[in-house]
Amino acid sequence: MHDMQILKSKQSDGAGLLQRFSLETLQIGGLALAIVVFAIIVQMNFPVFLSLPNINVMIVNFLPEAIIALGMTIVIITAGIDLSVAGIYPFSAIIVGLLLLAGAPIPLAIIITLAAGAFIGAINAFISNTFRVHPFIATLAILLILRGVNIIITGGSPVSGFPETFAIVGQRGIDFGTFLLRYSVFIWLALALLIGYLLRNHRFWRLSYFIGGNRRSARMSGVNVERYLYFVYMLSGALAAVAGVIVASQFNAASNSYGQNLELRVITAVVIGGADLNGGAGSVLGSMLGVLFIAMIYNAFAMSGISTYWQDVVVGAMLLASILMGEVLKRRRAN
Amino acid sequence: MTPVLEIRRASKSFGSHRVLHDVSFAVYAGEVHALVGENGAGKSTLMNIIGGIHRRDAGEIMLNAEPIDPLDPWQARQLGISVVFQELSLTPNMTVAQNIFVRREPTSALGLIHWRQLNDDARALFERIGIDISPTELVGNYSVGIQQIIEIAKAISFDAKVLIMDEPTSALSESEVDRLFSIIAELKQQGVAIVFISHKLGEVLRIADRVSVLRDGEMVGVVNPSDSNQDEIIHMMVGRSLGDLYPAKGVVSDEVLLEVEGLSHPPLFHDISFSLRRGEILGIAGLIGAGRTEVARAIFGADRYSRGSVKLAGIKLDLKSPRQAIAHGIVYLTEDRKVMGLFLSMTMRDNIVSSSLARFTDALGLLKHRAIADESLRAIKQNDIRPRDDLLSMTSLSGGNQQKSLLAKCLSANPKVLIADEPTRGVDVGAKVKIHQALRDLANRGIGVIVISSELPEVLGLSDRVVVFREGHVSAVLDGDNIAQADVMRYAVQ
Amino acid sequence: MRRSISLFDSSRRLRSSLAPARLLQNRSVILALLILVISIALSILTPAFLSSRNLTFVITGMTYDLLLALGMTIVLLLWGIDLSVGSVLGLTAVVTTMLLQDGVSIPLAIGAGLGVSALCGATNGFFVAYLKIAPFIVTLGMMSVARGIATVLTSGYFVSGLPDAYKAIGQGRLFNVPYMVYFALVVVVILAFLLRNWRPLREAFYIGTNPEAARLAGIRVALITLGGYVFCSMMAGTAAIFMTSRLSMGFFQFGLGAELKAIAAAVIGGASLRGGTGSIFGATLAVFLLALINNGFVLLQGSPNAQNVIMGGILVIAIMIDAYRRRDLAED
Repeated sequence: MHDMQILKSKQSDGAGLLQRFSLETLQIGGLALAIVVFAIIVQMNFPVFLSLPNINVMIVNFLPEAIIALGMTIVIITAGIDLSVAGIYPFSAIIVGLLLLAGAPIPLAIIITLAAGAFIGAINAFISNTFRVHPFIATLAILLILRGVNIIITGGSPVSGFPETFAIVGQRGIDFGTFLLRYSVFIWLALALLIGYLLRNHRFWRLSYFIGGNRRSARMSGVNVERYLYFVYMLSGALAAVAGVIVASQFNAASNSYGQNLELRVITAVVIGGADLNGGAGSVLGSMLGVLFIAMIYNAFAMSGISTYWQDVVVGAMLLASILMGEVLKRRRAN
Repeated sequence: MTPVLEIRRASKSFGSHRVLHDVSFAVYAGEVHALVGENGAGKSTLMNIIGGIHRRDAGEIMLNAEPIDPLDPWQARQLGISVVFQELSLTPNMTVAQNIFVRREPTSALGLIHWRQLNDDARALFERIGIDISPTELVGNYSVGIQQIIEIAKAISFDAKVLIMDEPTSALSESEVDRLFSIIAELKQQGVAIVFISHKLGEVLRIADRVSVLRDGEMVGVVNPSDSNQDEIIHMMVGRSLGDLYPAKGVVSDEVLLEVEGLSHPPLFHDISFSLRRGEILGIAGLIGAGRTEVARAIFGADRYSRGSVKLAGIKLDLKSPRQAIAHGIVYLTEDRKVMGLFLSMTMRDNIVSSSLARFTDALGLLKHRAIADESLRAIKQNDIRPRDDLLSMTSLSGGNQQKSLLAKCLSANPKVLIADEPTRGVDVGAKVKIHQALRDLANRGIGVIVISSELPEVLGLSDRVVVFREGHVSAVLDGDNIAQADVMRYAVQ
Repeated sequence: MRRSISLFDSSRRLRSSLAPARLLQNRSVILALLILVISIALSILTPAFLSSRNLTFVITGMTYDLLLALGMTIVLLLWGIDLSVGSVLGLTAVVTTMLLQDGVSIPLAIGAGLGVSALCGATNGFFVAYLKIAPFIVTLGMMSVARGIATVLTSGYFVSGLPDAYKAIGQGRLFNVPYMVYFALVVVVILAFLLRNWRPLREAFYIGTNPEAARLAGIRVALITLGGYVFCSMMAGTAAIFMTSRLSMGFFQFGLGAELKAIAAAVIGGASLRGGTGSIFGATLAVFLLALINNGFVLLQGSPNAQNVIMGGILVIAIMIDAYRRRDLAED
């Protein structure tokens, strides 16, 4: 008992701000603060920035990223990564479009598309499980293949002319006069709340943290890690397909050029939101704030008239900065 | 009285290699049954068969006289057989309670976790074994020793009827070992059958009611500690008498080789001073977390220190990296050979010369391959590493031979000072004796050797002098042939 | 018992490794056989394949990829990854050509371009080696930053009007083969020699296998890692010089997606994503193989769009080969 108490008191020595709050709280808090500061600065220069219609625009523009980030969060928590979402997203837009053009009923077309997204996710998991390669490589291979497939099945030109009713999801919504709150936003909200809640409180979903934190230990606790990863990548694939269906509905068209660099934006958002690429940490709330931050930056660039080419520079720099900050925080706590 | 767990004539082979042959073994409720044997004797395999990691080729496992057939560790635990493996199975990023009850959290019908009840369950569990650990603290914030205890708590939480512990004390300090033993006593009272696997015969004799000895996959015998002693058990384990476990002490010169003065790096260690003489083996004893490894790494240049000085043969060194330390002739044998010492997927030859490449490089930085090959063959012979094929991958060597390779790697750098941190951790008795002898031979050749060990008998048996660490300070420097174990403990704990 | 190849293998082992059964376990031999089979198949299927014009085209085209794959091999060997090489290529191309356009002298412009690439590599290396941040993420950030800067500098326009003397670097020929092919071959030979015999590169194997153990063994882990990233980036910079002078222009999208090809080639050539292995000749053969497959598609009028599919497919096959090779290595 004696030395145990010594050890414990050593841990709590000099408990400052860094020690009192969890890493997650610090990161999400810091991000929220950054968002507020950024919003105030932009707002002072462009009073329209925080108007409801503009916020609505930000959300709609980054809806695919937000939905895909839900899956990516869980993938990263399990110490994985999924680059293939940037291929699945246009692929599913194209598939749902082609099915509709072929006369498939809308619900069936959507279900088949979601299943296709999940199936591609299963292939990711299969490659990475069976050949024991890092998911980065497995999903990279699938991304490359899908990019090619997308060009081949569309011949390089957009698919369009879907039935009227298909447009309801992505184009219709509740009219607030100055802006239209689309139904697709509700789909995202529902998914985010559901997945966020489950990831916090559900026994099965929480296993992702164990798998990411210490895969061996998860295995010893009887978790079938391989099977769980099937679930995770299938979920990620299916969510990318949801995003693809929504975008097809929104533009009434599907093109292989959708989703350029989307994987980068999503990963950046999730990492900014406090997820640890080494696994074991991450949250839906953080990831959504991360997407919001990036959406705000893009929006501010568009408004300011600064060359939008700067967006990539800023997003890349932000990724590095947030990683650096996370590392610094971690090390300060460890000392 | 029927045993809780009984193994009947179990056999197991991996390929053509027979690991277990016709082994029978029984443990009763409220009994601590120790299982000892050299590395490779089959202890781990036997345990893996019971714990559901491997399938046996023949034989039966009986739990309360019912045959069982666990397919994985999880299933074994459900049946009441909990195995605490050498490697910790905890996840540092989760809380203590979450770790203990992973997949068994109290939940609603939908699978949503009742958090408060989860933490209460953990608290109740800790109360039962008489320890005070916060269920809501992250596991990563606790020391390895406490994590080991959490691990054991987790194993017990399955309502274990049989608790099997594989080298549970290998990462524990002496006082943590006492703590563990009182937990074991508590569990014994509650009627749990305990299988205790260990290399440390002193501990085995202290805690066990019966001792089973395995040798080359066969059960050699079961002895009662009260009518046996360490020598007899060692004899049973190795099938021959090893002679003395520790080599005779040598003649130490008066010449100071390494002098450490006022070395500090708060909060890890403060004002550390000691000296090492030519031809001396200087033992460093102390609890885990007392700062021994930290000081060794600071001397070696692997970590920084804030104040103080290190002098080699009277000249002050200011080492900023291990590279500079090695260039000056200070070499460190790491306590964790797999993580920090060896390049497991590379060959023995690559490993042996890894610290001494500078010796085999010409002015242009090009390597002399022939000289490298000669050096590695020489080192293998000198250190008696088996098999004698230096192009074998490190992974195909036994723990003892890996450790000898690590020593060979250090020696290849022609050290003046060797700091050996836990030089015999996880090594069987036979290899231990050889490593002890090798360290003494080095000292006799005029090299200064520092040995850090958590095994008190080893420190005392090997060292000419002993420095005792306590909470980052030097609490005593003990000299002479007859340092008592109790004295060292007193300085280490008080 | 698992026997592996020592870094310091002496000749007696090399001789025994020439036995047929062992030969087939050698990746370079498999790659060479594949190249032979595909070459024969292509020359039968289409006479255009063996024309000197086509062969020169294939070899020239693969030079850029080869330079990148060599750099990537070194970085992978160090248990790193560099996703920014394609962007660094684009940035170097833009910087060099813009300077030339502004009338800066050729050596100075090339020096500045290579300097920029070295700076990118040093930044990557600094973050990875000294701040210990995951290379995947560092270079992912550099990938967007470098490409973004290239875009901002040119606003998306081509940079042209380069001096003729500069164009000669990429367009000049000796025995009907462009200079840059010789250059790349010289780099291959020197690098292969150094990887076997030069201490810092030998030490890269240790670093890639176990960085902490390497540091404790007295190896300059951080410095060598930094050097690896600088080398890799400068290979991309060199490729950019050749590309811009050959095509007589600079464009911010040069090298788009090149990092994936480089990784695929390095992995197919024997590098592992888990560090500690890599082969210069293997990577060279792999680049050649990929170039042949690509060429086959073009010649046989296969859709050039299928290239991505093929690349992805090859990467999957490489993964499978790598997994087979590692089959007896314990997991975790």
